[in-house]
Amino acid sequence: MSGRARARGRGQAGRGAVRGGPPPAPAPAALPTGKDYSRSDDSQVVGTFVSEEEASTSSAHGGAARLSQRCDFSAGESKSQGAVLGKGGRTRYDFPDLGINTRKTIAHVRDCKTGSSGIPVKVITNLYSLLLPREWQLYQYHVTFNPEFESRRLRLALLYSHAEFLGKAKAFDGVILFLSQKLENQVTELLTETKRGERVKITITLKSKLPPSSPVCIQFFNIIFKKVLKKLSLYQVGQNFYSPSEPVVIPQHRLTLWPGFAISISQFESRVMLSADVSHKVLCNDTVLEFMTDLYTRCDRARFTETCEKELIGLIVLTRYNNKTYRIDDINWSVKPTDTFPKRDGTDISYVDYYKQQYEVVLSDLNQPMLVSRLKNKQKDSIEPRIVHLIPELCYLTGLTSRARADYRLMKDLVQETRLNPERRQQRLSRLTDNIQRNSEARLVLETWGLQLGCQISLTGRIVPTEKILMQGEMCLPMSASDWSKDLRNMKMLGVPSLDTWLIVCSNRNAEVMKNLLNCLRRVGGPMGFRIEYPKILHVQESTLAFLRALQQHVTPEVQLVMCVLPSNQKDCYDSIKKFLILDRPVPSQCVLACTLTKPGMMMSVATKIAMQIICKLGGELWAVEIPLKSLMVIGVDVNKDALNKGSSVVGFVASTNSRITRWSSRCILQTTGNDIADCLKVCMKGALSKWLKHNQELPARIIVYRGGVGDGQLKMVVDYEVPQLLSSLTELSTNYRPKVSVVVVRKKCIARFFAEADGSLRNPPIGTVVDTEATRPEWYDFYLVSQLVHQGTVNPTHYNVVYDDSGLKPDHMQRLTYKMCHLYYNWPACGSVVSQDLNAKSTLEYNKQAYHKGCLDSPPAPSSCPSLKRL
Amino acid sequence: MVDANLAKGECTGTIKFTPPLYKQRYQFIKDLVNKYKPKKVADLGCADCSLLWMLKFCKCIEVLAGLDICENVMKEKMHRLSPLPGDYLQPSERTLTVTLYHGSVAQKDPCMLGFDLITCIELIEHLEATELEKFPEVVFGFMAPAMVVISTPNSEFNPLLPGVTLFRHPDHKFEWDQAQFQSWALDAAGCYDYTVEFTGLGAPPPGAEDVGFCTQISVFRRKYPNTGEPINLEKPTENSYRTIFKAVYPSLKDEKYLQNAVVSEVINTAQIITRRLLDSFNSVYKEHSNGLVEMKPDFQLPRYFMRHSKNPSLAEGEKLADDRNMETYVSGNAVYIPLIKIFSIPKVNKLCGTFENLSKLITGKVALSNDGSAVVISTEHEEKENE
Repeated sequence: MSGRARARGRGQAGRGAVRGGPPPAPAPAALPTGKDYSRSDDSQVVGTFVSEEEASTSSAHGGAARLSQRCDFSAGESKSQGAVLGKGGRTRYDFPDLGINTRKTIAHVRDCKTGSSGIPVKVITNLYSLLLPREWQLYQYHVTFNPEFESRRLRLALLYSHAEFLGKAKAFDGVILFLSQKLENQVTELLTETKRGERVKITITLKSKLPPSSPVCIQFFNIIFKKVLKKLSLYQVGQNFYSPSEPVVIPQHRLTLWPGFAISISQFESRVMLSADVSHKVLCNDTVLEFMTDLYTRCDRARFTETCEKELIGLIVLTRYNNKTYRIDDINWSVKPTDTFPKRDGTDISYVDYYKQQYEVVLSDLNQPMLVSRLKNKQKDSIEPRIVHLIPELCYLTGLTSRARADYRLMKDLVQETRLNPERRQQRLSRLTDNIQRNSEARLVLETWGLQLGCQISLTGRIVPTEKILMQGEMCLPMSASDWSKDLRNMKMLGVPSLDTWLIVCSNRNAEVMKNLLNCLRRVGGPMGFRIEYPKILHVQESTLAFLRALQQHVTPEVQLVMCVLPSNQKDCYDSIKKFLILDRPVPSQCVLACTLTKPGMMMSVATKIAMQIICKLGGELWAVEIPLKSLMVIGVDVNKDALNKGSSVVGFVASTNSRITRWSSRCILQTTGNDIADCLKVCMKGALSKWLKHNQELPARIIVYRGGVGDGQLKMVVDYEVPQLLSSLTELSTNYRPKVSVVVVRKKCIARFFAEADGSLRNPPIGTVVDTEATRPEWYDFYLVSQLVHQGTVNPTHYNVVYDDSGLKPDHMQRLTYKMCHLYYNWPACGSVVSQDLNAKSTLEYNKQAYHKGCLDSPPAPSSCPSLKRL
Repeated sequence: MVDANLAKGECTGTIKFTPPLYKQRYQFIKDLVNKYKPKKVADLGCADCSLLWMLKFCKCIEVLAGLDICENVMKEKMHRLSPLPGDYLQPSERTLTVTLYHGSVAQKDPCMLGFDLITCIELIEHLEATELEKFPEVVFGFMAPAMVVISTPNSEFNPLLPGVTLFRHPDHKFEWDQAQFQSWALDAAGCYDYTVEFTGLGAPPPGAEDVGFCTQISVFRRKYPNTGEPINLEKPTENSYRTIFKAVYPSLKDEKYLQNAVVSEVINTAQIITRRLLDSFNSVYKEHSNGLVEMKPDFQLPRYFMRHSKNPSLAEGEKLADDRNMETYVSGNAVYIPLIKIFSIPKVNKLCGTFENLSKLITGKVALSNDGSAVVISTEHEEKENE
């Protein structure tokens, strides 16, 4: 970084006047324990159990203690417990949604939750059976020492010195002992002697016998498999395992990808299985210092510190000298490497000297600022946050910066490497399972516990029938649900307003293409039933300012729509125009890139898509599907964490306002206080119902809520808090109003993958494939639906978990209805990946989030200002 | 074994060493390593591998080995010796292999041959008499490294340590005074053709100078030069140690990593040159376009743009090579940067060594011109559809 940048930086001094040293060295325990990965948000760190062979690390302790705590086993006296926790690693909520049994509350699916319609199809999954001997159990013992010992190493040594334990599968953290074989007695007492000659009594008491399906056992299996992957020389970063020795380098973007895997063991419908998926870790080849230097040469120097913070804060870095990851919470521009910090022994040392002494690292830039990371408190009772200062030169960025994400070419190159088609994905998975089975050390880890990795599971899914698309006065059965644009040709859209008063803004240079587009639009509009009047055309200079000036002068309240033909793909131009037309003069707008209009032969199809988008933006309806249920209101909810304001989230809410489910009301709320999403849902719900009442003169008889944006560990909150709140908002409306309600949690990111076999190779399963056996969970009323076609890579099935349902709808109907909803995303004449409501909610959310972030946090747009803008 | 506990004990007593003595012992070795730059270092009685962990950061070391009789204590923290993610991201120039063996210092194993430095920190006092007897023959006679460092408690210091009755640690089989240690060391040195120097750590308090250092250290140096080959061929060649851990660090000596590094550097350099070129072109373009003059994209770039480049290494490279070959030019939608120019960048030059090597490494990985003499960077912007 150059001097000027620094000078600016210095000016900002004293923002984080916290005293922090570098992360403590020596790095406590390396790779395999996994305790050293501090990650930002929901993903905490796993405590590791260690068996004799890898005499445990401190983290094991904490892990065990937590494990047992959570599962209501008492683990030792509170004293030793405290010590255990103090030392221990943090618990990662691996299976946070474990133990939430919603199926038992839904009477009509208790016995059977499978659908029936459709053609059976063989589906190969990414699930592998876990072979266990019959009657396999995990025995959990509690171990006490008399006299007591603080030293865990000593406890381990004392226990393991007994012949009873030699050669047996065991995991012991100093307090809790797991065995795969039962000891003879309920309580075993052992006498032993330390090297100093002290006599010690060890008491081993059986606490519980755990069947493989028990939560403790599931977690235990996960720990065992983590160990297995470590034996295969895979590195744990975050929750997944990667192979840094086989890097894929994308030099043009200075990125490195580590291929790897995400695995987990869970109890599936009928048995415990391992699910495995391919994962890639994206790492930046540059150090954070290099990133800063590069940024400095590119950005507006006066705003360097601000830009830098915007880019870096929130990102996860990996340090050069230990195996930890840290979240950048702040940048301290006033501390430099030559400043000192107090070491644990009380003496002061400068950062430069410290890194030289500890790691033989010589810092090249003595004026770099410090990255500040707040560590999660290990001790619950300590209030003071632990803070570490990290040297940018010694940190690598993991993941992508927002700048990188916005780089279309970078993302394209990245996707090229990470998007694996089913065939390649399967190859990688086979290689992993082969390795587990062939590697003797890995196999040994499993075998000592009597475990074995079984074969890949295939199951029978169903391809539900393609939906009829209802148009004005006619309907069609598309050839494929993946794209029905051809089928729609010459059909009239359902409900189309006419476009009478509108503007086109375009630069002088693009006058020709614009004219061409206009002609095409009018030509495609006819058959759709979309009347497009001649617009007012504004020719301007090729600059953002010129566009904005034209908009300022000519956008009047009568204008129905503004179309901008943009000269280049510059984001700031698009952003400024959108911001103006969303916040300053709310009016529907359509931006088109000039270059998309110059592709020969594509004009008509481009124009068709633009026309459809315009119809949507004007509040029209494109098509519908048959909805057998009358008076059904469908609601989509999505919640997104606000990237800029940590802790707050944005809630998008859309609700249908007609029985045909083609008209919507939408709302978006910025929720500043943590998890009180339910409260704002209540408000949205009331608004949606009153809208419905206005349009239909009665309240809906049925309501289905599709709730997206539920992260790991949040399911409980949805079930325990949100659903009751939603229900109460209905009764509050009118005491005798009792609609039938279903709440479905939608997850697009799930570990399950499905492949279909065709012509001897693996393909993505056809659209409309429903999986409701084997790969689902016994305690949930859930199913998977493949509702989108992907041309590259492997499709992500969407997981639908019906957490509340008093509608009495048969599972088959619920699945079909959900599939119907996938047809209603108007941005594309094809099935959406998730139900359209959710997508719409997402769009609304993105749309408004953008608005918020354009610097108008104080005055979020009133929902009424964009009622017709259901999507971008 | 390292008496971490004892070191703690030393701190809490009336006599307090700062930094704690065990740290001082490690630092002593580290200083020695930095001074003599050994390539192969072994730590006998490596215990929880703390010393090895410290030494793995020393850039001169290419082979690190640890030996201990207790497998569990080694395994406890051995994973700290694995390469870190950062080592893979920026592979080092040196090679480094770290191996841990389970075995006894009273036994010979060829894996310990050819070392430059062997350390035995607080080890010998844990040896049984029979083991101690074999120790000199194994270490000095068989392993025969260029240098040996042995440290052990000085029993004369014990009265100054509170709570120490017989030995400092229950597992100690003996503790020697200065005379005992020195005579043992001199015997060994004399027998196996080594010189020996004595030193120590943990100076006695004023008034008790006679007792000597708390930890006594002897540094042995082999008198005869390294023949490179194991000296005695009749030495046993069967393995008596068991390898329990081995980590090979990624290194630029490995072509896979070297290629990645070179390709990254080449593309990065080419991109910087391109960006600079386009920036200067854009500023010219802007001046012209104010008058709405259309400029053809296909043009030969005026040479002064490159002359204005601020990067000294670029300018330097320009002087070095033939003017024509060094010229960056634009044709169509691409910028052509001569390979020879990229080779002149010090970082690339250092990585590849020769121009031929550079060509070889980037072939197939970097887009080159038809004759292979220039890197091609496309300036075409693929536009994406906007909503």
